[in-house]
Amino acid sequence: MTKRHEMRGSIPVLRIGSTLLATIQVELRDSVAEDFQRTVLTRIEDTGSTGLLIDITALDMVDSYVARVLVETSKMARLMGTEAVLVGMRPEVAATLVRMGFPVDGVRTALDVDDGLALLGRLRPAFDL
Amino acid sequence: MREYMKKLRLDEAELASRRSYFDITDADLGRLAALRGFAEKRTDPIVEEFYRHILGHGDSRKFFPDDATVRRVKALQRQYFLGLFTGVLDLKYVEDRLRVGAAHEHIGMPPKFYLGSYAHYLRLVRAHLVEEFGAGADETASYGSIEKLVYFDMALAMDTYILAGLEDLRRHQAAIRELSTPVIRVFQQVLLLPLVGAVDTQRAQQIMETVLLRVIQEQAKVIIIDIAGVLVVDTKVADHLLKTTAAVRLLGAETIITGIRAEVARTIVQLGVDTSSMPTRSRLAEGIELALNIIGKTITDRKADRGARRAPKDDLQEEP
Repeated sequence: MTKRHEMRGSIPVLRIGSTLLATIQVELRDSVAEDFQRTVLTRIEDTGSTGLLIDITALDMVDSYVARVLVETSKMARLMGTEAVLVGMRPEVAATLVRMGFPVDGVRTALDVDDGLALLGRLRPAFDL
Repeated sequence: MREYMKKLRLDEAELASRRSYFDITDADLGRLAALRGFAEKRTDPIVEEFYRHILGHGDSRKFFPDDATVRRVKALQRQYFLGLFTGVLDLKYVEDRLRVGAAHEHIGMPPKFYLGSYAHYLRLVRAHLVEEFGAGADETASYGSIEKLVYFDMALAMDTYILAGLEDLRRHQAAIRELSTPVIRVFQQVLLLPLVGAVDTQRAQQIMETVLLRVIQEQAKVIIIDIAGVLVVDTKVADHLLKTTAAVRLLGAETIITGIRAEVARTIVQLGVDTSSMPTRSRLAEGIELALNIIGKTITDRKADRGARRAPKDDLQEEP
């Protein structure tokens, strides 16, 4: 198990085996969101990771812009051959998204990072962790 | 030559048009026919002097490597020269002249030598005319007629040069088209198409056609399209890739897309192309693994495999 900590912009993207873990701890303002997306995708390109966990535990508010960025990033990652899982969504965030009627289908979610890793493991039996 | 004639659209109408443009009248042809006797008498000295000029120049000499060649081209040149004085200008004449142009193009002689020689050639002929008939109105008229026909010939030769160049270009384009969709069989029932460079709509179209054709030809179950070498993908191209995937599925096979770059992934999603039906993998290696999986094969470690196979045989020693 290798662990590499990398700061790009203000969102760290850690590598755990063949999984990338992006923990969002700051508010995703326009430029930050854009930067986050690029960073994550570039890291996927560089590492050839097969899984991506986006940890949004720290986000207590998600507006439609941020939601779109997250959903799009998941889709982009999938195109690059990487399964993306959103983990740690807060109850109030989930409620808001549903109330907004935001289309989140096609995006995988898990309770926390642990569950997310387990889900990725199930998705890819040949997964090396 | 018939082919050249067809490609240059050289028919009676075109011949008539050229004749009138070069201002070659029946009087001209008559004058040329009347010069036949002069031509027969002067052929040899003119041809000899002409080749003295060509062979005297280091660069043009290279096209005539040995004496046999020189003898052969001199004989041809005699024919050519006498050909000017038949008084006939028909399609057969045109065909003959095209052959001359094609021969020059064929040995790779650049037009500069060809045209340069002609200027020298005309000066020579004129000198001989003056010598024979003395300078005057007759000689000027005769020379005028020769010049017209020679320019007519030169135009035909240039046409063959340009046509040959265009043919080359067309051949290269065909070769490039072929190279742009190299479908490789990497395993039984598994095909691979590595794409490199810009993909435009035309190429995307061609990719689809080739892929479908090859899937049928090879009875493939899986085709991997690796686009790691593609830096830009627009809506149309993404759409074509999707359509290819769908069409391949209709044939009963699967498409795996590998090597989608970060920027390409961003574009595709931001363009709103629905890619949920497109199986993708990050690296080609993983694509191959998935493909083998689909046809029911797996890649295993050789050592473990060998151990398993050898286990029952006690008499074989394990390698160190």
